[in-house]
Amino acid sequence: MLNLVVCLKQVPMVTELPWDEESGTLRRDLAAGMMNPACKHALEAALQIKEKFTAKITVITMGPPASEEVLREALALGADEAILVCDRLLAGSDTFATSLVLKEAIKKKCPKFDLILCGAYTADSETAQVGPQLAEELDLPAAAYVEKLEISGKTLRVRRLVDNFRETLEMEFPALVTISMENYKPRYTGMAGLKDAFDEKAVMVLNARALGLTASSIKTKGSRTKVRRVFLRKAQKGNVLLQGAASNVVNEFLDKYQRKIGTVIGKSIEGKKLDDEK
Amino acid sequence: MQLNPCAKHKLVRDSVRHFAETELAPIAAEIDRTATFPRAVIEKMRPLNYFGLQVPKEFGGAALDSVSSAIIVEELSRVCAAIGLCVTVHNGVAVYPFLKFATSEQKKHYLPKLARGEYIGAFSLTEANAGSDSASVETTAVKTKNEYILNGTKIFVTNGGICDLALIFALTGFEPGKPQSSVFIVESKYAGFLRGELENLCGMRANPVSSLFLEDCCVPEKNLLGKIGDGMKIGLTTLDNGRIGVAAQALGIAQGAFEAAVKYAKERQQFKKPIASLQTIQNYIAEMATEIAAARLLLYRACTLKDEGAPFGCEASMAKLYCSTVASKVTSLAVQIHGGYGYSKEYDVERYFRDAKVTEIYEGTSEIQRMVIARSVLSQLIF
Amino acid sequence: MTKNKQKSIWVFGDYRNYYQNRVTLQLIARAVALAKIINAEVCALIFGYEIDEWIMEYTAHGADRILAIDDPALKSYSTEKYLAIIEALAKERDPEIILIGATDFGREFAPRLAKRLKTGLSADCVGLDITEDGLLLQIAPSFGGNMLAEIVTERHRPQMATVRPGTFKEIPHDYERKAVVERLPLMKGLPKPRVRLIEYERSVEKGHTIENASVIVCGGRGMGNKEKFKKLQELARLLGGDVGATRPVVYAGWAEHGALVGQAGKHIKPKLLFSFGISGAIQHTAGLGEADFIIAVNKNPQATMMKMADVAIAADASDVVNHLIKELKKRIKE
Repeated sequence: MLNLVVCLKQVPMVTELPWDEESGTLRRDLAAGMMNPACKHALEAALQIKEKFTAKITVITMGPPASEEVLREALALGADEAILVCDRLLAGSDTFATSLVLKEAIKKKCPKFDLILCGAYTADSETAQVGPQLAEELDLPAAAYVEKLEISGKTLRVRRLVDNFRETLEMEFPALVTISMENYKPRYTGMAGLKDAFDEKAVMVLNARALGLTASSIKTKGSRTKVRRVFLRKAQKGNVLLQGAASNVVNEFLDKYQRKIGTVIGKSIEGKKLDDEK
Repeated sequence: MQLNPCAKHKLVRDSVRHFAETELAPIAAEIDRTATFPRAVIEKMRPLNYFGLQVPKEFGGAALDSVSSAIIVEELSRVCAAIGLCVTVHNGVAVYPFLKFATSEQKKHYLPKLARGEYIGAFSLTEANAGSDSASVETTAVKTKNEYILNGTKIFVTNGGICDLALIFALTGFEPGKPQSSVFIVESKYAGFLRGELENLCGMRANPVSSLFLEDCCVPEKNLLGKIGDGMKIGLTTLDNGRIGVAAQALGIAQGAFEAAVKYAKERQQFKKPIASLQTIQNYIAEMATEIAAARLLLYRACTLKDEGAPFGCEASMAKLYCSTVASKVTSLAVQIHGGYGYSKEYDVERYFRDAKVTEIYEGTSEIQRMVIARSVLSQLIF
Repeated sequence: MTKNKQKSIWVFGDYRNYYQNRVTLQLIARAVALAKIINAEVCALIFGYEIDEWIMEYTAHGADRILAIDDPALKSYSTEKYLAIIEALAKERDPEIILIGATDFGREFAPRLAKRLKTGLSADCVGLDITEDGLLLQIAPSFGGNMLAEIVTERHRPQMATVRPGTFKEIPHDYERKAVVERLPLMKGLPKPRVRLIEYERSVEKGHTIENASVIVCGGRGMGNKEKFKKLQELARLLGGDVGATRPVVYAGWAEHGALVGQAGKHIKPKLLFSFGISGAIQHTAGLGEADFIIAVNKNPQATMMKMADVAIAADASDVVNHLIKELKKRIKE
């Protein structure tokens, strides 16, 4: 049986995230959470492996209590076990600390894993670093941005596109991959999995102490980076508004910007409307 | 009763919303315009267990609670009421009577097929001269050796055009002044089961509502649901549950129209500012929001009572009456806020407006709901 | 290590293709500016086989020192080999800063390197600055690019960042420039890589990608329906550009996933971006950070996309597309 671990993250639904102009911070508290899209693709990849081979899927996340929601969603989709690592001591962890904590949890609860799957990047911070750093922590062969997985025996073959190079890589289990959003389109959550996903015992919660981490060890082994401030990117433009019937605005637009467009596309565009009827 | 949505109900809502916005939103206007039942989408809904919402796991269902079930219908209807209708009729009034009244043989035979959506169900009480008065049906069922021969005409059958199975109410007792109706499980493949033309209706146009004709339709004896003469009981019990479904549907329509109206009010500029900044529009929005919230609480209360095994008929009627009233009012205001555009088929609120009206009519008109509620209140001993 | 040793800023030489290589040159340029402030040297790392061309290039573009390992064993890129090499070099030489281009390769490789060196790393920076006492200020996008975060690695060295291509301008080449070129032998006892490269080819289908297209015609749900959306292809052909799409459109099946622009899809940087029937949800606009000139068409003049645009056309998107096609056919002279 294959032992699969999928790392998940809950991210805010960004459209709903308001910016507080006065304090200059994000109103994270107002945002609903969702499973990070790339993580959902990683889970889908695991589910497809499970359909083909016998496999057990353990999903794991680190975050505030509310991030249990993504574990329940994963259970509803077909994951078998769920682990939530949750502790105030771990709040504000950077990728260095997060990958350390995930390693401890995996070593404690599923040390016999064959393959770890992560999303290639998260929608909120987009660092794409936790996967590779977790591979480093566990000293695993790894591949990022994986589009397609094939398994035969204990060998994993992956296809991916990096910097315009199409690569096929092979490695032996145990290994780690981060999954891109090209393939593995996530399935819909079926109604049948929802009830059991909310079985109280379905999610195991671990705190820092359970992982052998204390306030002082987190300080020395934990985050390396610090966010000094977050600010809004200025993107206001000098805006020209054209209104009216479509045919008129199109002509007005082309008359006004014919040179700009012509330069970019490398062709010349007539400045004035041609009166070819006459 | 939990007043804030629990994590499960949030996930149920998110899951269905994602499906509805991805699969139904792109086609909702089109299937309404062409009155087409979207079979391809139904195929996608089958494996997701949308047709076995409250069927126990042993029969292949999702075994969900009633609040979840209501949320599902609400979210489908928020995007496409005709599909919400298909799902709620199937689950609420075609499958539900099986759960309540079927023999274990009947359950074993039919529930898995229904839960998988292999069979889409319909509930067939209404006739030209019988609506909420289930006692006055004219379709007859005459027993032969080991069959019943059904004859009669059913009208306004939701899912009628596509159903694989219908629960048919027919007279089995003919004592004058004491009509006795009974309920039969009739598969569409039985000889003598014929469908009429699809109805040309104001709203819910993508649902294939039709007449059904029973012409010497032979139904095996074992397909009697409940006992002879149980028609009234089964009808009333089922309608109580069906009303929760219609309430959920009405609520979803109201929610969809409300969101469209708020979005439009923030975008639409008049007098150089969004109309949402005008007090009149704000009053509308406040009223809509409040009434939708109240309707939702009333609906979930009925669901919770049902799950607790308590009587919920009166509460279901209250929820149905109120949610449908709110739906009609909110969709009308949503059109109003959209102005001339709202009256155009370019905008979704025109469809919501048409879809909402029928929620005040079917599964017992608002007048019938008032009757049910009043009867329940007047019968209480505390007064 | 001596106390007054020469401080050093390292730039990883990511030379595999032209586009990647430009990032390295851009980083050398930025490193030169930073090095002045803290009085350091700029050191470029080049590992590969037959790498003289890059030694020359990086010297000409501003590097003070080159650490080069030229060995047939390094003929193709290898995360595992590079990790071992840089780990050994960094432990020996103790650089202040390591900068790596935020290419696909860099973003896979840098996190492992940072972990191995037990130091911090910021991702995909769009700005770098430095304090006089040598603290690297790393400006990284956050929340899909609409927010920026200023990140520092206070107590650990080296300070590491991956930097988005195009953030800095390279220094014009000067082939007279000189640099100290240290040609090092490949270390003994490097671990045998556990990831085997089976096939490796320059992707043909992605030779021209939407990411580097100079004209992009993007459509959203406001285009109306699939047939109307397909018209964008004709317009894109006339303009020599590519078609992009928003998430709802991709989910509705009007466009392929490869056309998805935004947070979950491609980040684009066209000189001209036409945006049709797109409201401007952040999931989409997150991918537009580097568009030069935006023309937005939407019925609703208040849509976010319209506010972001240089030219906002308040009209039905599909109508405008049809008229643009008609007019451009008349007006474009080959």
